[in-house]
Amino acid sequence: MQPRRQPSPAPPPPPPPPALRPGAPLLALLLLLSLRGAAAVPEEPGQSQDAGPSRGLLQQAARAALHFFNFRAGSPSALRVLAAVQEGRAWVNPKEGCKVDLVFSTERYKAEESTFQEGEEGLGKCSARVFFKNQKPRPAINVTCTRLFEKKKQQQEDYLLYKQMKRLKAPLDGVSIPDSHGHIDPSLRPVWDLAFLGSSYVMWEKTTQSLHYYLAQLTGVKQWKTDDDEIDFDYTVLLHEFSTQEIIPCRIHLVWYPGKQLKVKYHCQELQTPEASGTEEGSAVAPTKLSNF
Amino acid sequence: MDTYSYNKYHTMGEIYQWMSQISEEYAEVVTQHFLGMTYEARPMYYLKISQPSSDPKKIFWMDCGIHVREWITPAFCQWFVKEILQNHKDDSRISRLLTNLDLYVLPVLNIDGYIYTWTTNRLWRKSRSSHNNGTCFGSDLNRNFNESWCGVGASKDCKNSKFCGTGSVSEPETKAVSSFVESKKDNILCFLTMHSYGQLILTPYGHTKNKSSNHEELIQVGQKAANALKAKYGTNYRVGSSADILYALSGSSKDWARDIGIPFSFTFELRDNGTHGFTLPEVQIQPTCEETMEAVVSILDDVHEKYWPLSGAGTVASGTMVLSLLLPFAGLL
Repeated sequence: MQPRRQPSPAPPPPPPPPALRPGAPLLALLLLLSLRGAAAVPEEPGQSQDAGPSRGLLQQAARAALHFFNFRAGSPSALRVLAAVQEGRAWVNPKEGCKVDLVFSTERYKAEESTFQEGEEGLGKCSARVFFKNQKPRPAINVTCTRLFEKKKQQQEDYLLYKQMKRLKAPLDGVSIPDSHGHIDPSLRPVWDLAFLGSSYVMWEKTTQSLHYYLAQLTGVKQWKTDDDEIDFDYTVLLHEFSTQEIIPCRIHLVWYPGKQLKVKYHCQELQTPEASGTEEGSAVAPTKLSNF
Repeated sequence: MDTYSYNKYHTMGEIYQWMSQISEEYAEVVTQHFLGMTYEARPMYYLKISQPSSDPKKIFWMDCGIHVREWITPAFCQWFVKEILQNHKDDSRISRLLTNLDLYVLPVLNIDGYIYTWTTNRLWRKSRSSHNNGTCFGSDLNRNFNESWCGVGASKDCKNSKFCGTGSVSEPETKAVSSFVESKKDNILCFLTMHSYGQLILTPYGHTKNKSSNHEELIQVGQKAANALKAKYGTNYRVGSSADILYALSGSSKDWARDIGIPFSFTFELRDNGTHGFTLPEVQIQPTCEETMEAVVSILDDVHEKYWPLSGAGTVASGTMVLSLLLPFAGLL
């Protein structure tokens, strides 16, 4: 079932349900959009694939799901990025929000400066249900992914990173990662990976149908405490929001230990959009007590 | 120019120096020209690459660095010039292009802003014009052109990254480019403006979902360019109109260029897809430039082929030529 929309001067609004009776409550709009092979080239010259809301919406959902997945996995050595959306469907209910079911592929996040940017390891695969709710501040996510790395190896990698972090001494003042030329000092890579992990939580919460974020820069380290077992990391970042092209400063405070659920609190500057309502704060309320906050 | 490193990001001072040195070194084909002054009174220069000839030429225009945090773009403009100049005698593809086309390259459009990314704020985007009594700075030069100015995807608020300016073409940089391109519009066949990031080749329009009259052709040319780019290192680019695959935006140079009659008008969004974003590591400059070169030359080839079709070596003319000869007679059949 592939209703392919022909290119048209303006995208037609989603067809309303057949009118029942005047004044009937607006029922959920069932919008079945099937998108196959998201990276496909237009099959006939001139008929560009209409990449309107359907494709964009699936991309948004994939991004939100991935940020959440990375946060929940709590593994700075096993971070993933989006490769391609493979299929998806969406249901829009104007009163409640928008629900998306989708399948997408992922590749390993490689912040090091390889010349080849396409992942050389295999692609992972995820399926997710993402609910962009109108009232709630964050998208609700259910996501499962195939394992990219063997579990034991992943744990070992995380523990290695943890040990490297323990050896790093504050002060890390004046740190700007990456530098202007895109370079990250190898000794500071663990710091960057951990910062990215914490930022994933923030970016998950802030992703909507129209807004999506990338981590642009780690601009400061307020605290880097490693003397307890856990890494206690208080830092500032700049997020790049793509549709508005704004740079958003955020302060993030996280506590991490390999294998334990990541704890995050944050505070971002408001985004300059008509819908912005003030500063946004959030925290991951973990079952264990947040003794360091 | 053997000592100039095209694999590194350069300051504006270095780029100014490079421009004068390269036009000296290749004086028979390159000249440096003044375009206008920036807000902070710096000179804007473009390079004109032109094979001496008694025949009139058509024009290819490319600009980089309109959004100044997109450092890979001035790097590409410099790379492009270097490649053309180093190969214009030996490479038949390039020398053929230069028989009929003059290449105009503006390596940094937004000079004030570019300097600002080196001295103060690496992630700045706009120009450095002063507004609201010096409390707010910069217009988004790619929202300042005279095309549905300050409509969708632009802001009247100076604090906004997409501030469209105080009026259409209010910024001296926009004015310099506009006036020049306008004055040459009858001869400009192709207008490319380089951005990052996103890995996209964008066709008109951003300010509407309506398509230009030659939309199909532009998509075809764009797709061919994306394929040529991908063949190099496997990098995936998507092709489509800005409104379809990026976001709505008004007052953009690409839309304006198309609407004053320049047939081939594209925006490129170079590497990457967000992993490094604006701070693309220097080690990626070379591969990015090499693959992008393939795409741009592919577009140049298509433009050249359209206006100066290759005459067959005696035998069969190209299919389109045969058709265009037959069509007038079709009505007689």
